[in-house]
Amino acid sequence: MAKLLLYLTLATSLIPLFSVAFSPENPTDRRVLVLVDDFAIKSSHSLYFGSLTSRGFQLEFKLADDPNIGLQRYGQYLYDALVLFCPSVERFGGSIDVASIVDFVDSGHDLIVAADSNASDLIREVATECGVDFDEDPAAMVIDHINYAVSNFDGDHTLIASDDFIKADVILGSKKIEAPVLFQGIGHSLNPANSLVLKVLSASSSAYSANPKSKLSNPPSLTGSAISLVSVVQARNNARILITGSLSMFSNRHEKSGNEQFLTEISKWVFHERGHLKAVNVRHHKVGESDEPAIYRINDDLEYSVEIYEWSGTSWEPYVSDDVQVQFYMMSPYVLKTLSTDQKGHYSAEFKVPDVYGVFQFKVEYQRLGYTSLSLSKQIPVRPYRHNEYERFLPAAYPYYGSAFSMMAGFFIFTIVHLYSK
Amino acid sequence: MVNDGTFYFDEKLVNMREQQGPLATTSSVVRGLTAFSSVITESLNLTGDKILGIAKFFLGIGIPGDTKNFFDQVDSLACLENNRVSIPLILSLPSTVISLTKKDSLKVKVNTVLGSHAPPLTVTLVRAFSSSARDNSIIENQELKFDPQDAVYFLDDLPASFDVGEYIFVFKMLVQDSEQQTVYATGTLTQVPIYVTGLIKIENAKIAVLDSDLGSVETQKKLDLAGESTVSVSANHLQKLRLSFQMSTPLGNAFKPHQAFLRLRHETKVEHTFVVGSSGKKFEITLDFLGLVEKFFYLSGRYDIQLTVGDAVMENSLLRDIGYVELDLPEPPENASRPPPQPVDPYTRYGPKAEITHIFRAPEKRPPQELSLAFLVLTILPLFGFIIGLLRLGVNLKNFPTSAVPATFAVIFHLGIAAVLLLYVLFWLKLDLFTTLKTLCFLGVFLMVVGHRTLSHLASASAKLKSA
Repeated sequence: MAKLLLYLTLATSLIPLFSVAFSPENPTDRRVLVLVDDFAIKSSHSLYFGSLTSRGFQLEFKLADDPNIGLQRYGQYLYDALVLFCPSVERFGGSIDVASIVDFVDSGHDLIVAADSNASDLIREVATECGVDFDEDPAAMVIDHINYAVSNFDGDHTLIASDDFIKADVILGSKKIEAPVLFQGIGHSLNPANSLVLKVLSASSSAYSANPKSKLSNPPSLTGSAISLVSVVQARNNARILITGSLSMFSNRHEKSGNEQFLTEISKWVFHERGHLKAVNVRHHKVGESDEPAIYRINDDLEYSVEIYEWSGTSWEPYVSDDVQVQFYMMSPYVLKTLSTDQKGHYSAEFKVPDVYGVFQFKVEYQRLGYTSLSLSKQIPVRPYRHNEYERFLPAAYPYYGSAFSMMAGFFIFTIVHLYSK
Repeated sequence: MVNDGTFYFDEKLVNMREQQGPLATTSSVVRGLTAFSSVITESLNLTGDKILGIAKFFLGIGIPGDTKNFFDQVDSLACLENNRVSIPLILSLPSTVISLTKKDSLKVKVNTVLGSHAPPLTVTLVRAFSSSARDNSIIENQELKFDPQDAVYFLDDLPASFDVGEYIFVFKMLVQDSEQQTVYATGTLTQVPIYVTGLIKIENAKIAVLDSDLGSVETQKKLDLAGESTVSVSANHLQKLRLSFQMSTPLGNAFKPHQAFLRLRHETKVEHTFVVGSSGKKFEITLDFLGLVEKFFYLSGRYDIQLTVGDAVMENSLLRDIGYVELDLPEPPENASRPPPQPVDPYTRYGPKAEITHIFRAPEKRPPQELSLAFLVLTILPLFGFIIGLLRLGVNLKNFPTSAVPATFAVIFHLGIAAVLLLYVLFWLKLDLFTTLKTLCFLGVFLMVVGHRTLSHLASASAKLKSA
């Protein structure tokens, strides 16, 4: 009996150790499941995986059709992020399928999908769920006869070099990527109606997606810079997805290209080491006071302040920007003001309450390229003047005051005069 | 055995904690094989093809990132280098792309797996044929010469009939010393795809606008595809646009590039791509706008023309902005399809919004202050008029009581009235109704008492006067 109790206490005391993971206070992913077609990828892409493990990620490699894999057990997710380096998988093993991957992303976790020139329908379906459409021709590859990588062995111009990057320091890092990125695989296009997906690396205007072995009779469906080589999706719940059509871009083969820097920086963004914002400490008060009133009066002067931090991978750093705006909103914004910052993450603005009364909201809707979206809202009512808050003495009423007081004075004189004069 | 000539072993065990990949499995097989063959006296019955396949597998992995895999690879190659069964010899080409302009020559190297020299061999190019015409071989049974300085076998000159394109070269190597033939595994035939590249001549480029019915040329302009000049033409929906040029290989044969696109891009960024067809050396595309009006979504205006010609064997692939065409298309009918939506530029989508400041209601108009002051003076004037009138009438205070007590009461009475009036002023200024009423109660009672005394005294005084 005593032993049982001992075991029970030991077991329960170990439970907190398992929760060192993704949480709103510590948003970097920790446990990553990597699904591969065969374990040779672990070796041929070792530089990329090495860069991930050196930043503290715990990678778990499993075959894509391993029957024991699963993303969640008893309702808890076992991993914080999923990497699919299995372009030719026909059916996932275990409890993973397209629906469970979509649920995984919908619950806020990140995903990296790499297809290749023999991509299966399953990987294409996963990509379509995320918002990108790969070329339907299964034998097609991206070919570029002008921007190809000159080599002695690949004479068919399917290894292309591209440096058409998206201009976003938060996604690609502040250091410019000098060498072009070498890419060999299939291209994809983005639906223009989709506002969440971004083209990080586009092909040049001479690129097209076709089968290199057969002649073309119809113009290909994907040509020019509409072809995206690497895209990212930032979902509304701030899950981040990276989709690319070349698994060989991650491999150790391309030493002197910009691949290593490009992939390291973009992996930092995908795993929330950059560009993840949080807003805390929303306060508002009348100018001159410090506590928050429950109701404002029209034509009050008030001050609104908020603190915004950005996760740097290890700690929350103050976020400095000059375009955070606050709205005073009731059905439509009555006041929209840019908040001024003190360069340490504290933003504040002062304005006068409009002379419309009703129930307003302080709204901060902050959406910038590559950053998580901030959506704050605080409700506050606004009342009109009380009866004793109007102007007291009006110059227009002086004649009336004068008439009343002159009447009183006349009465006083009259009482004296009438009683005592003869 | 895999298609590319490699041969490897793989484990089929499941439920092992660590699954060994084909690399580890094959390397343990090789180690066992070479160790076994070095101790037994008879020779093992293994074909050279299998040994060569295993060697190609190890060489085809590249450099593994894992140290254990790397060790397995190098160790197995070292075992294969000196084994008693047969030593594989690998045929490799330093470059599979031969440029006609640079006058590259075909070079072949034969080494053992770890790169040391092979014994003297005869390397023969058995066949060379174009990948599109596999039956027709251009070269047959050509022996390659050996260059002892670089240790390569080379083919002096490609025959004059070698044009640009993709070819497959088939090689065969044979150890010269017949005794040593069993020691080395050379395989039977090695097939290598070769790309022969060169400069393709593009000439005689023209763009013309034709009248649809008669086919007669309305405007025709020459294009300079090598330079930077642009042309501009205009057309309406009843006409056709024709672009034509000629392409030929360095040897003068017809050439069909993999990519020959004509792209028209409208000002609103809607694009249409067409493939330029060819017959022999002549490339031509005719755009009949009458049939294309619906495809172009009835969008009139300026279309930029871009020509892209490229191929894997073309060293001068080009992407040229030729110019623009002003297209005049009819108005769209009601049920015409809209052009597809163009992607929104992401940099403008996320910018900050314009600031809004609330415009407050203007306060009501009030009369100017001078007007109020003027009327204030006007209202005070009657008071002065009253006082002046009273003085004129000759008022006096003769009836004021003279004896002490009634006089005091009279004074207090009037002071009481003044106090009530002052209370009214204070109420107007800052008091509220409750304090005022309270005070008024006390003052009122006091005033009643005092007033009664005073007025009754006055009344009795005047009654005395009347009766006297």
